[in-house]
Amino acid sequence: MTNSVITAAAEKTPPSVARRVRGLSDRAIAWIFVAPTIFLLLAINIFPLIWTVRLSFTDYRANRLNREVEWVGLRNYERILTDDGIWMNMQATAHFLVWTIVFQVLIGFALAYLINKKFKGNALWTTIIVLPMMLSPAVVGNFWTFLYQPQIGLINYMVEFFTGIPASSFSMLGSVELAPWSIVIVDTWMWTPFVMLICLAGLRSIPDYIYEAAEIDRASKWRQFWTITVPMVLPFLMLAVLFRGIENFKMFDLVVQLTGGGPGSVTELASINLKREAFEKWRTGYSSAYAVILFVTIFGLASIYVKALNKVKAR
Amino acid sequence: MSAHSITEPSATTKWISGGLVVAYAVVTLIPLLWIVATGFKTPADAISYPPKVVFDPTIEGYVNLFTTRTRVTPEQLESLPPPEGIAEEIVRSYGMVIAGPSRFGERFMNSVVIGFGSTFLSVFLGTLAAYAFSRFKIPLSDDLLFFILSTRMMPPIAVAIPIFLMYRQLGLSDTHLGMILLYTAVNISLAVWLLKGFIDEIPREYEEAALIDGYTRFQAFYKVVLPQAATGIASTAIFCLIFAWNEYAFAVLLTSGTAQTAPPFIPTIIGVGGQDWPAVAAGATLFLLPVLIFTVLLRKHLLRGITFGAVRK
Amino acid sequence: MRDFLDGIVRLRRGPWEMLATVLIALGVVMLMQPLFLWAYTWSFLVTLTGTVMFLVVSHFPE
Repeated sequence: MTNSVITAAAEKTPPSVARRVRGLSDRAIAWIFVAPTIFLLLAINIFPLIWTVRLSFTDYRANRLNREVEWVGLRNYERILTDDGIWMNMQATAHFLVWTIVFQVLIGFALAYLINKKFKGNALWTTIIVLPMMLSPAVVGNFWTFLYQPQIGLINYMVEFFTGIPASSFSMLGSVELAPWSIVIVDTWMWTPFVMLICLAGLRSIPDYIYEAAEIDRASKWRQFWTITVPMVLPFLMLAVLFRGIENFKMFDLVVQLTGGGPGSVTELASINLKREAFEKWRTGYSSAYAVILFVTIFGLASIYVKALNKVKAR
Repeated sequence: MSAHSITEPSATTKWISGGLVVAYAVVTLIPLLWIVATGFKTPADAISYPPKVVFDPTIEGYVNLFTTRTRVTPEQLESLPPPEGIAEEIVRSYGMVIAGPSRFGERFMNSVVIGFGSTFLSVFLGTLAAYAFSRFKIPLSDDLLFFILSTRMMPPIAVAIPIFLMYRQLGLSDTHLGMILLYTAVNISLAVWLLKGFIDEIPREYEEAALIDGYTRFQAFYKVVLPQAATGIASTAIFCLIFAWNEYAFAVLLTSGTAQTAPPFIPTIIGVGGQDWPAVAAGATLFLLPVLIFTVLLRKHLLRGITFGAVRK
Repeated sequence: MRDFLDGIVRLRRGPWEMLATVLIALGVVMLMQPLFLWAYTWSFLVTLTGTVMFLVVSHFPE
């Protein structure tokens, strides 16, 4: 319809002006505008991706350039997927992933619920709470190792202050039992605001009249919470959970600074393990297969994420 | 609406929820305040137990951050001319002299150059692509958009393997250009998604009116659409900048010297017997401060940025 | 359930996407569970199937 308006206008103008009006055709402009982006992504994402898939069938080692590269078929995949050690790394990742999501959802939702009570100054406090999530995970993670120091750290001091357990008797990052929880604590500190913000948007998207109607029906507050609030916020919560899940499945910077994967390998998440294989042991072919496994998993999760995204967008 | 709306929380509810939220905010701020405070402590104060909340502030951390120092004998120290400025004075009180600037300034500048360079590129390309996706029928546009988004989700370590090999071939390892291109590729997905949302909100009628007035499509784009999208472009730019600024995994794997940014550098600031915590904290403070300011500026668009434009409030 | 099966037979997008989502989720759980090594071993194949399926079926009609 809009096109016909333009055509009608164009027909009434002299040819020289008409050429100026049309300039490049819309189709041409569309391609000129999209092409650089697609080209860049092809060059820096897709081409390397295809290369990784190719390498994953070889025994290539990037630190030995003159060595003959052999085609090994699916052997890399076979070795990774039967390796006890990598399976343990996946379980470490699962521990990190599950607990960070549990804590972030509980605390994040609670905070959003409280902020939505619209007390005075809530906008200011929301902004303050959000600050940690915007900061550089590597720099902040590095500083947390200072807070976690057994002899001098603030965290250990606070634990001693409140519980009486001597500060030098335990090491948050050095002990096999505590280290997996220490990384959960820092990630929760950093990313709870993310879940909070999304939940808050969900809560604010619920129109008042639904509660008013429920109030007229004499539904209790408890009932209103479970039959209105929770179901309405759920799509938003799903979005937050999926996003945090993807992010923490590939977690690297924060944890590598905090523990470097240690002690032993109890906090060696998949990405940290992959970095060891690829850039310390230089088993490039093998780690390419590892990378492909992570790729496919994330690609799958990303498809679900986009589905959830469209669901929220429709609201 | 009336002031007595049944959905309006009672005054008590407001007080309790306000109190709990403020309590959480205070606790969550402690690590950040501790970074700032540690930057102004002497190394001895920084590692004293119990941790010192009240201390004599000093700029020693900042001096150590920006300089390299060498130890000299007491005789040599005696023979030197009197110290110029407070920095000299502090260093000499430890029996050392300033030997030269540290690498921090350079690394910080690398962060600035790579951050701004990649932000400019990704916002520039992203605006064009977003406009095309928003206004024209592009075949398979849903698939293209999904493809664009999925590139951002990829784990950096996994992407880094082939990029490392490719950059080694092309001579882009440890160069500013290489990092700018890489961060542009990562950020462009966010830029396209966010900007598409912003441009979708600008009524098409404006451009159509301009087209009828004799503008070409291109003129309509930059004279009508761009000014309308200015806020969106600015907030997208800040998001891209923050990402490039904070990025660590690519930086640590693909840069080692010339193009190394601050995040991989700050954790390597070493003093006597381990990390020089006041200097690390000073570096962290300077590095985190711009992001804190940007976050406050961005607060209205934060939600959009972190959800790729899906949640608009 | 009837609708679901009906959609499967008639190649509709909704139920097939649901199926693919379940497969991907199953694959991810298999990858990271601590109980069975065999489940870990086959997880990749399940995720891959789910992901490819998702790509294909998202082009089915609504």
